[in-house]
Amino acid sequence: MNAAAKHSQAMHFHARAGEKVRNPALQRALQKARPLFVGKRQKGLASLAEDGLDFTNLRSTAENIRNRVLADLDVWLELFEERATASGAEVMWARDGDEVARLVVEIAQKHGVRKVTKSKSMLSEEARLNEALSAAGIRPVETDLGEYIVQLAGEPPSHIIAPAVHKSIGEVEALFAEEHGRPQQARTSADIPAMAREAREVLRQHFLSADMGISGANFLIAETGSAALVTNEGNGRMVTTLPRVHVVVTGIEKLLPTLEDFATLMRLLPRSATGQSISNYVSLLTGTRARDVGALTPGPSPAGRGEMGAPLHDGQVPEGPEKTVFILVDNGRANLLGSAYQDMLRCIRCGACMNHCPVYFSLGGHAYGWVYPGPMGSVLTPLYTGIENALDLPHASTGCGHCADVCPVGIPLPSLMHRLKEEQLARGLRPWSERLALRVWAWVAGRPRLYRWLTRRVARYLDWLADGTGRIRIFGLAPAWTAERDLPVAAGKTFHELYAAQKRK
Amino acid sequence: MSAREEILARVRAGVGKEDAAGRRITAESWLAARHCGPQPVIGSSLVERFRSKAESLASTVATVVDLAAVPAAVAEFLALNQLGTTAVLTPECAAGDWAAAGLTVSARSAVDADLVGISGCFCAIAETGTLLLLSGENSPASVSLLPETHIALVPVGRIVATMEAAFALLRAERGTLPRAVNFVSGPSRTGDIEQTIVLGAHGPCRVHLILIGDIA
Repeated sequence: MNAAAKHSQAMHFHARAGEKVRNPALQRALQKARPLFVGKRQKGLASLAEDGLDFTNLRSTAENIRNRVLADLDVWLELFEERATASGAEVMWARDGDEVARLVVEIAQKHGVRKVTKSKSMLSEEARLNEALSAAGIRPVETDLGEYIVQLAGEPPSHIIAPAVHKSIGEVEALFAEEHGRPQQARTSADIPAMAREAREVLRQHFLSADMGISGANFLIAETGSAALVTNEGNGRMVTTLPRVHVVVTGIEKLLPTLEDFATLMRLLPRSATGQSISNYVSLLTGTRARDVGALTPGPSPAGRGEMGAPLHDGQVPEGPEKTVFILVDNGRANLLGSAYQDMLRCIRCGACMNHCPVYFSLGGHAYGWVYPGPMGSVLTPLYTGIENALDLPHASTGCGHCADVCPVGIPLPSLMHRLKEEQLARGLRPWSERLALRVWAWVAGRPRLYRWLTRRVARYLDWLADGTGRIRIFGLAPAWTAERDLPVAAGKTFHELYAAQKRK
Repeated sequence: MSAREEILARVRAGVGKEDAAGRRITAESWLAARHCGPQPVIGSSLVERFRSKAESLASTVATVVDLAAVPAAVAEFLALNQLGTTAVLTPECAAGDWAAAGLTVSARSAVDADLVGISGCFCAIAETGTLLLLSGENSPASVSLLPETHIALVPVGRIVATMEAAFALLRAERGTLPRAVNFVSGPSRTGDIEQTIVLGAHGPCRVHLILIGDIA
């Protein structure tokens, strides 16, 4: 079993799905979030149109940029490594999540780190980094408000950009009261600003006292050897500015060639995620604080170069980390290159696919059992943890195709799920009943006269069951299917019969 | 085999191509070419666009004719919002006559106790109403991050159309990137409790922009 699979609960999808559907608090939270997510993206796309930009055109440009990187990923990685090193950062490599955790703990120990502030990173969830840090006696503090909430709850995030989307205000209040050592209060949505304020004050002290900051990277820029970080709360800036050490943990596929390519992707990422035309804070982080020492006024000051620039006070310490380390992580990614699933590596983690997925909004993210939920998770989890360890996920789809429509980098998610299903079948991973049924169907379908005769019988039988109502309430052959809804049936004729009748007219 | 060698070997196998040297030359020429994707055409004036976008992101905007008028404009904003008369500012902004406007300023990095931070900007982007701030000894990043109120001085001549244009300016004037290039678009915000947007998450709750120059 590979390292990632050890902690995956994806095999329990079916059982978990049942629990989630019957959880009224979760259902309320999801039903509240769904129209907001969808509406925000619509607004974001409308703002593109106002600027005379066409989503389809922009998407194909972004798709090409991502494909360009993947087509020569070895070359781009080496270029990035050279430039990041030349800019003053150190570059390390990790084969899997366990190696990420080991490297980060080693770096922390080497620099005498006792507290780490973290900006949101899904890859650190792949590596179960917080657990490893805690075990080494180092305190990890999640600083994205949603991540902070789920960390207090001892849960993984349930959405890649809205980690606490499954939590109600009451649940958040209970967590805050306990962690912040105060009595619990009755809260309504009018109290949300006060609650955010409270978290701000607690987390501010953590920002100021942490020795090390850990961030992911939304992108790596090969041209400059930089990490690009996109946040709204400003926690990304805090963890990369205040602590002595900055560790960037990111996947090898996150590269973009140039700053111009980054500008293109930035027209799509925030709009697809939250509908914003730009997130509040976008940072390009390069090397260490040493880059800023002795540098002149960066560009013209308000009055133009030189007129206003005054030197720093004596003894002023420049800001930013003394040490920056990039950890470039494989954890299953390289295996997708050149495979039928390579398109998945274009993913920029915007969350649009899950925000438009009927399955995600019926179950929430935890049902999926590993780090990534929704359609992208249904593809990534089997690929990163083993197809045999996530058998239900590629089937967690209604086939509506909405995820592919909204994906800003054109990933054909439904086709990838379909391919995974085919692979399950080819590897004998489907239940015997399903395999037998498919074999029988194939045998019958290869015999047209028998096929027509049988489908005619079936059509008449269903019609008889429906008894003129057009729907079947209880279907004995698939009782689970009709337990929650009626099965609609056609007019008692097979396609062949209808086609022939149409032709005669 | 080291992790690096092993991962790169796997990547090379997946990429499935020979001629690494030739592909590297192609990659470098892509870097040099700096192709731009589709960009918006900014119809209205850059200043107008910047201003309306910044306001839509919950920043407030004031205008002054020249640099000498800045301290008074800052004092007016602080008084109006009852934000006191003390501020930390980036050393790049230190030369103004702040005392004459009744303000006590110190040019340094910000600390937690600072309530108001005043900074310049490298340039500003009209497309999204965004400030581009560069870290440096004369422009410490903490000034636009730790205080609850961030006031930024934006000479109108430094407003460019797009992020691509800002990068072009950065290359022309600086050549290399500082430790941090920060694009700032309004006050910090979060929607993590029940998807309700709250201003002032970890960064400033309030961003005030002072446009400097001749605004037609």
